[in-house]
Amino acid sequence: MSHILSAQNVNKKFGNFQALKNVNINIDKGKIVGLIGPNGAGKTTLLKSVLGLDSCDGELKVLGIDPFRKRADLMKEICFIADVAVLPKWIKVSQVLKFTEQTHPNFSIEQAKQFLSRTKIKMDHKVKELSKGMTAQLHLAIVMSINAKLLVLDEPTLGLDILFRKQFYDNLLNDYFDNERTIIITTHQVEEIEHILTDVVFIREGEIVLDANMDELTSSYFEVMVGQEHYEEALSHKPLTMRKVFGKHIMLFNSTSRDVIETLGEVQRPSVSDLFVALMQEEQA
Amino acid sequence: MNTFKALLEREYWEHRGAFLKTPLIIGIVIVVFLILGYLTTERFDQVLTNGQSIELSGKALESFNADDVSNVIDVFMLATASLYQFVLFVVLFFFLLGSLYDDRKDGSILFWKSLPVSDTQTVLSKLVTATLVAPLLFTFGLIISHLAFFIVFSVIFLLNGANPFTVLWSNIEFINNWGAFVVGCLIQALWALPIYGWLLFASSYSKRRPFMLAVFVPLMVGLVWYWYNAIFNYNLLKIGVFKTLAFLLGKSTVPFTSGMDTNAENFGFDPTDHTGVELIQSMLRGLNQSDMYYGLVFATITIALAIYVRRFRNTT
Repeated sequence: MSHILSAQNVNKKFGNFQALKNVNINIDKGKIVGLIGPNGAGKTTLLKSVLGLDSCDGELKVLGIDPFRKRADLMKEICFIADVAVLPKWIKVSQVLKFTEQTHPNFSIEQAKQFLSRTKIKMDHKVKELSKGMTAQLHLAIVMSINAKLLVLDEPTLGLDILFRKQFYDNLLNDYFDNERTIIITTHQVEEIEHILTDVVFIREGEIVLDANMDELTSSYFEVMVGQEHYEEALSHKPLTMRKVFGKHIMLFNSTSRDVIETLGEVQRPSVSDLFVALMQEEQA
Repeated sequence: MNTFKALLEREYWEHRGAFLKTPLIIGIVIVVFLILGYLTTERFDQVLTNGQSIELSGKALESFNADDVSNVIDVFMLATASLYQFVLFVVLFFFLLGSLYDDRKDGSILFWKSLPVSDTQTVLSKLVTATLVAPLLFTFGLIISHLAFFIVFSVIFLLNGANPFTVLWSNIEFINNWGAFVVGCLIQALWALPIYGWLLFASSYSKRRPFMLAVFVPLMVGLVWYWYNAIFNYNLLKIGVFKTLAFLLGKSTVPFTSGMDTNAENFGFDPTDHTGVELIQSMLRGLNQSDMYYGLVFATITIALAIYVRRFRNTT
């Protein structure tokens, strides 16, 4: 099996609305992929198909398995957190661990208990007694105790405060991720995850507009902080975007004429979110 | 198999209140009414006849014919059993209506579906909970309630100088009456299977109000059928759909009477006139009707549809 996930000409229609248009994408082992796009771009639709929660047209294989037809089989090898705090409210912590242990062949209850011992969560708590952040911690503890080849996180930290969000990604990176595993993340808070990503995929109106690894990305795009004296010259190289900070202009360029532009000011690596905004605007123009 | 056991246990965790506490609470209510009833009659008796009549009746009880006492106890046990079956149906109605809807409403379906459990297993676990687990828990509740009831009675007899063992306990047909309840619950499940299937489908399919779909669609179909016949065939008596619905509901809520035919001569069938064994025989005979087979076919179709819809409907 070459790819963890491979999609070829994947399409999805809701009535007349084409939610996914000829999506082609391959994801390999050991990557942390950020799936980034504006609201309604098709991120969740794509992930639902990947997780076997909905059907789609085209060739979609996750670990060589057709997700929609064999979701139960697939879930032995992958796991996901779709949305925050979706654990059932009535269940006790001990019950959710027991249920997962009995239904999941790759779940280690000892490990989950060990993760939970570092939190304030007690075994006889009910989920409805936990705060939103603690529920997310519990869910993460369960997911991290599953020996899965692929982990999919769809807005796993939406609505959590900054402390929980930071801890969430720290735990994920330090206690879970290794080169045998693969993670796909979508989130609106791109700034918080961009330092952990190995690859980014931009999706817009159901189409993949960019699929690159972070190194490629930072070598093919760069930002230059241009002072007033070089402003006109820099502008003539047609920056993708431009913003003004402390009297200087920060311009984003494609790498084609890097040698020349580098001389115009201080070069810096663009953030994924700036790049995202730039590419989305470019597409619209 | 371990997975299925875990799924049933999961249903028990979530619905322990409805399945276990409901029968126990009914039992407590009956016992409390019994005690209140006893206390008030004693009070009246004290005022009116200085307590003579209760003392007399206590003595008189021991001279009663054992068969008569046994009959009274049978009637009591079967009447409460019938009440419990009715309540069981109501509890299951709402359980099934929410079973494939509530987790979509609160989003927890996204957690359940992240585990390697197929949608077929999930839906069947709800069905087995309704047809086997809940009836067993109700049987347990009924047994506890009956025993509590008889213990209270024994104390009352003792207070009045009668021996509860000769008057009461030796005349109770435990096996017959509890057996009739268990068999009745299973036969209830068979008759109610098309209703359960329909409820599962409504719960799985409905985007907003499963109750509206589950209740109003059959009623609308019945009305349309009625008016179609009234207007086009000038027949005001064709109530086919309503008749079927009433038939199914009747058998599902009072399974003890499910053995009777629907013709007029059996109209006055009173289950409390019969012993537990007679009831079991009557109910089993009732199963051999073509309506039962149509019901099972309908149930199979609706359950299959519930599973089919469950695969892609993840939100409300």
